[in-house]
Amino acid sequence: MLPDLGRSLELRGTRLRRHKASRVAVFTLLMSAGVAFGAEPKEWLARMNHALTSQNYVGVFTHVQGGRVETLRIIHRVRGRDVSERLVSLDGSGREFIREGNELICYFPDRREVLVERRAPDGLLLGALPAIDEDNSSVYEIKGGERQRLLGRDTRLVALQPRDQYRYGYRLWIDEKTAMPLKTQLCNQSGDVIEQIVFSNIDLPERISDSQFKPQVDASTYRWFRADRQVADNSAQSDWGATRLPPGFRMAQRSAQAMPGSSEPVAHLVFTDGVASVSVFVEPRKADLKPTEGPSRVGSSSAFSTVVDGHQVTAVGEVPPTTVEFFAKQVKASKTQQPAPAMGLAPQRK
Amino acid sequence: MTEERDSQLSAMFDGELPGAECELLARRLSRDEALRAQWSRFSMIGAALRAERGVALHDRVSQRVQTAIAKEAAYGDGADTGATSSQPVPATPVSVKTASNARWARLMRPVAGASIAAGVAALSIMWMRTDVGGPDPMLASTSAEASAAESIVLTPEAAPSTLASNTPGASRAPSNGEPDVYVTPAPSTSPGIAPPARLANYVVAHSEYSGPLSRRMALLGLVAADSENATPEQAGSAQANDNADAATGAADAP
Repeated sequence: MLPDLGRSLELRGTRLRRHKASRVAVFTLLMSAGVAFGAEPKEWLARMNHALTSQNYVGVFTHVQGGRVETLRIIHRVRGRDVSERLVSLDGSGREFIREGNELICYFPDRREVLVERRAPDGLLLGALPAIDEDNSSVYEIKGGERQRLLGRDTRLVALQPRDQYRYGYRLWIDEKTAMPLKTQLCNQSGDVIEQIVFSNIDLPERISDSQFKPQVDASTYRWFRADRQVADNSAQSDWGATRLPPGFRMAQRSAQAMPGSSEPVAHLVFTDGVASVSVFVEPRKADLKPTEGPSRVGSSSAFSTVVDGHQVTAVGEVPPTTVEFFAKQVKASKTQQPAPAMGLAPQRK
Repeated sequence: MTEERDSQLSAMFDGELPGAECELLARRLSRDEALRAQWSRFSMIGAALRAERGVALHDRVSQRVQTAIAKEAAYGDGADTGATSSQPVPATPVSVKTASNARWARLMRPVAGASIAAGVAALSIMWMRTDVGGPDPMLASTSAEASAAESIVLTPEAAPSTLASNTPGASRAPSNGEPDVYVTPAPSTSPGIAPPARLANYVVAHSEYSGPLSRRMALLGLVAADSENATPEQAGSAQANDNADAATGAADAP
């Protein structure tokens, strides 16, 4: 009697499980239809860009790069056209970056220094989202879009793969519901991961108070450095340009700015392929400082310095080392207008 | 005991509680206020889920289970098995089997549905807990949860290790002590910014012209890696300068 009962219970259990499984399947189908049917990887990228720039979020993530792991908090607030962002290291250095209005304030408690970077008032940063279009589809390939489970959420894995060695690619795990990138990998052309960001939690609060954009350090006794961006009115400075560019890159901006440690404005040229960007800084070389030459790195940013016509030239970007070297070596002072890199450029000369 | 009941409840929510236990628990729900409270907490979690995932399924499930409980309460008056609340749920009481097939199926149907979101439900508990503090403004140090309109609940992966060196001088007084006087821009003789730091300045300036992703990556590079680049002598001299300048409050440089 009893064994019989046991079997019948078991059978019932099996039926139930089958029942449950079919419900899960139906549910999954419904979700697919509602949320993501027909969405291409490209659309997911667009959604992600929108999510990253148009809404409030507060999150904690780990950043892994070159064997180092750092936990950081990001607080991002959008109020109309005002975007505020705070990035705080939760380990060790206590470094913070707070962007409000057109100022980016960098706190370096370990150096007891504060760097204030000011963007040009007409800076089009908000609108300058990376975009894949006809211009750069020849240099990036967008792949993926398949669903992957990550951290208990449904995500879409989208890969932005470089077609050549001049740029890095991204692998993005984009949350289906919120379009936030829960995990981001920076990869080289062969797919090796160079850098990784993984969120451990994200909130999307409706409001974020001003108090959350205050630094956690008392910086009143630190050394403050201010780098004011200026309209480029120094013709000698703004005539710098690149003679040749890697495929897909164009010059996006040319300006001169004051830099801590420089008595004269530094020419700042920005090149982009729509996703990656490279800055080239040019300043007159000082006789008392020995010239900097060769490659260096800051995190996953590559840099290459060289001396051209008595000027210190440094190219910096989230691109492979060979790319910044290419840029640094192609930058030349010219008395004549450089036609090649002038796409979309509004020269800021007097 | 409470713990056990919680796990039973959660198993029921998951659709994984054996039928007979489910039956018993449903009866107990009709009697036990604390357990009902717990159930409604689960329902709230369901609501959170619904808000998060845009699916109304869960609430319906909850309602149906509530209905089942109500009916169960009516049945329960006469047909109580006598299991008191202090007793662990016995394994498959025979008396339940014949009479309760229909009820059991009725009850179990929605619960099976509930299991769809059960994986997330467990996580939502975490969410509920962190959100209990309400819209308390985040104090600069630990709690990142502001009044969350929406929360992405992620299962914790490997706990992040903290490798960064502990650097001194990071006093955590919550104040933005921006002075009136800036170093604008420091002359070339300034001892403050030496080449590695200059590179950092470049990266900062560059970051303003990167896309949202690469910009963040660029700044992240600064958070971690730059401390490696700073040479000891540089750090030392900066420290010395700061000590000297600290009295004046503002920054320095001739």
